[in-house]
Amino acid sequence: MIMADGISNLCNDLQVDPQDIVMLVVSWHMKAATMCEFSKQEFVGGLQSLGIDSLEKFRDRIPSIRSELKDDQKFKEIYNFAFGWAKEKGQKSLALDTAIGMWQLLFEEKQWPLVEHWCQFLQARHNKAISRDTWSQLLEFARSVDPTLSNYDAEGAWPYLLDEFVEYLKENGIIQQKGRVLDLLGHI
Amino acid sequence: MSSQKKRSGIQIEAFKHRVVVDPKYAEKTWKVLEHAIHEIYNRNASGLSFEELYRNAYNMVLHKFGDKLYAGLVSTMTLHLKEIAASVEASQGSLFLEELNKKWMEHNKALQMIRDILMYMDRTYIPSTHKTPVHELGLNLWRDNIIHSSNIQTRLKDTLQEIVQKERGGEVINRGLMRNIVKMLMDLGPSVYQHDFEKPFLDVSANFYRGESQQYIECCDCGDYLKKAEKRLNEEIERVSQYLDAKSEVKITNVVEKEMIQSQMNRLAHMENSGLVNMIVDDKYEDMGRMYNLFRRVPNGLTLIKDVMTSHIRETGKQLVTDPEKLKDPVDFVQRLLDEKDKHDKIINLAFNNDKTFQNALNSSFEYFINLNTRSPEFISLFVDDKLRKGLKGVSEEDVEIVLDKVMMLFRYLQEKDVFEKYYKQHLAKRLLSGKSVSEDAERSLILKLKTECGYQFTSKLEGMFTDMKTSEDTMKGFYEAMGHLLADGPTLSVHVLTTGSWPTQSTTTCNLPPEILSVCDKFKKYYLGTHNGRRLTWQTNMGSADIKATFSKGVKHELNVSTYQMCVLMQFNDADRLSYREIEQAVEIPRVELKRCLQSLACAKGKNVLRKEPMSKDISENDVFFFNEKFSSKFYKVKIGMVAAQKESEPEKQETRQRVEEDRKPQIEAAIVRIMKARRVLDHNNIVAEVTKQLQSRFMPNPIVIKKRIESLIEREFLERDKEDRKLYRYLA
Repeated sequence: MIMADGISNLCNDLQVDPQDIVMLVVSWHMKAATMCEFSKQEFVGGLQSLGIDSLEKFRDRIPSIRSELKDDQKFKEIYNFAFGWAKEKGQKSLALDTAIGMWQLLFEEKQWPLVEHWCQFLQARHNKAISRDTWSQLLEFARSVDPTLSNYDAEGAWPYLLDEFVEYLKENGIIQQKGRVLDLLGHI
Repeated sequence: MSSQKKRSGIQIEAFKHRVVVDPKYAEKTWKVLEHAIHEIYNRNASGLSFEELYRNAYNMVLHKFGDKLYAGLVSTMTLHLKEIAASVEASQGSLFLEELNKKWMEHNKALQMIRDILMYMDRTYIPSTHKTPVHELGLNLWRDNIIHSSNIQTRLKDTLQEIVQKERGGEVINRGLMRNIVKMLMDLGPSVYQHDFEKPFLDVSANFYRGESQQYIECCDCGDYLKKAEKRLNEEIERVSQYLDAKSEVKITNVVEKEMIQSQMNRLAHMENSGLVNMIVDDKYEDMGRMYNLFRRVPNGLTLIKDVMTSHIRETGKQLVTDPEKLKDPVDFVQRLLDEKDKHDKIINLAFNNDKTFQNALNSSFEYFINLNTRSPEFISLFVDDKLRKGLKGVSEEDVEIVLDKVMMLFRYLQEKDVFEKYYKQHLAKRLLSGKSVSEDAERSLILKLKTECGYQFTSKLEGMFTDMKTSEDTMKGFYEAMGHLLADGPTLSVHVLTTGSWPTQSTTTCNLPPEILSVCDKFKKYYLGTHNGRRLTWQTNMGSADIKATFSKGVKHELNVSTYQMCVLMQFNDADRLSYREIEQAVEIPRVELKRCLQSLACAKGKNVLRKEPMSKDISENDVFFFNEKFSSKFYKVKIGMVAAQKESEPEKQETRQRVEEDRKPQIEAAIVRIMKARRVLDHNNIVAEVTKQLQSRFMPNPIVIKKRIESLIEREFLERDKEDRKLYRYLA
């Protein structure tokens, strides 16, 4: 088993910050079960699938591994993988703090303008762990719904937490209720 | 036509050469006939021989002079008709129609005679030449020369309309004459009747009624206007039956309906102080019935009435359920609802022909406003409680059924039937345990009705409560038979053993029973558990009651009916005359809120203050001191102090009940979702919500947000998953 120290050393050798998101992608390739630890099988198997047999190669491959995040399909898989990887063994849901950390990291890569509001909202109103369904649906939401919420469909079967988030945005004036304003103008 | 039989003897054969007829013969023969026609028209026919004339006509046709005969007929008749026209034209005033009528009768007589004479021509010459038969010819000539003569046509039209108008104005007219003239027009052909009478009749009538409706609407109230309209309508129907063509009836009634009813119906229905709403409020059955009968004749008439009625009911209903004054007394509130329903049922029955669509509108209106107030289920249960507790005392079985059926009717309107169930259970428990039910038959009857309406599940627990009561009776009998000798000195015990789950949930509280009570209770417990192995008994001290005999100063005795808590507190005063709050609390160990309420009912209630409190404030403080009130007096020997009757819940209690109801709904919603998904395997979100609502709406209206949360919970617990392609679709996981 490679534990936290081992990983720290590995990152040193790779000249990569342990908090760097590329480590997530690496873990994904290794199908790692939990963050901050690799089993021998995961480590070796992962490197084999990447075709890496030396530290040099590994170091050289880092940029290309990082660029995999740009691919939409791969990003989705990595994102969904992250849930299982980041949560505590034996828990069904992901602790809120961890989730927020992961989201901030992931959406740095994949720019979502509402990520800060989302995290604030959760801390103010939710304060509970995040379910898998909510986690995966959030990505869909970030991808398909316009940041101004102009195409948000209230009948869209979004998880309740996301509906609440939309309410929160409207209540706090972060999102103008465009539709309504236009109506008023139309009648003047 | 030759007969088949061969005849012997004389044979007559036709001329073998052409028979030549004297050309002057035709002219001579015609002259005879012409003369006859003149005589007939001059009413001088008695001197004529029918046989001779017939023969003459016959011969002319036979000898191929049909054309001459026919032409002669036409010109001769025309000649006479022109004379007649002149005579009619010349008549003055009212004689015009009379002359016309007279001449018409005469013409018909003449025509008949002429037709008879010329019958051979009618039957042979006319069919082969396709000319107009004699009778019809006579009518056509009359039409063309008299009716449509330029001097007569307009005058006739106008005269007829004037007469109708006179009658409408109230004058008496000669109906027989009118009948004849109208019949004449009908005989001349439908287009004549329509052109020369019916169309102008309808036009004039429309104008007349338009004017009249405008006049009446300004000066009459709704009821009066309707009476007038009805009168006019009936007049027209009578007119048609008396002297017009029956086919005109529907046309003229349409005119009256359009001008007097349809054009004004909105204004009538909404008329201030006399319109439909006022009629409803004042129960004006006759006026409303009239309105119904008149409005049903026009398009959307009944819809208008129904809509006005519906919005009125909804408005008054809404006021009723939101007015805090009217909500103070739940029993009174429900009685008002029933009274409103009865009132409108009667109106629909007596005035609106029991119209089904009106009934439906009434029902949906009631359903609408009853559910505006979330306390309706509770109040209806309290109403039932009041009736079953005392209201139905001494009432006949049939009347009991009537009241219960009315309650069921209100129950059906409720959207939150599960809330009603919760309250009903609580109230029923109190009734059963205090023995305060007026009639067990009535209770059972209502439960049966609920079962029929909602199914077995709704009432199975309620029935369990009755069973427990019965079983407890038997248990007590057994107990006293077995242990009677040991209990002779102690207090008489009556125990109801309640099956947890059937009865409304209560949390158990601490309470120290007095030793004499505890002793007999323990004996019971031992007895019961001896015969019912494996069960657990818990005393529900917050639900019991006690009858205790108290002796006051000067030997005054009273029997007090108190709750168990109150009994525990009072028994303390057997050992002391003065006790502080804290001392009492320590001794009885009843929770604070309950204890304070208990002490309040013993020391601060007028006429029931068996305890005295210092200071004499209204509220109980922990520094208070209590004394046995030696000077207590009451005009009754038996004094009831225990609060056992069901009451309207306080705000916090109501919140608690509401919360419990919401908690109970969650598993029901989940069960419905699982049932649906198991059957459908794959279903989208909106359809799940719709199906769940459909399944549960007979009990309550599920909130779509709650349904969504339950779905997410089921996803979490891996009963369902989202489809990978379409995120709005859910899949059942076996």
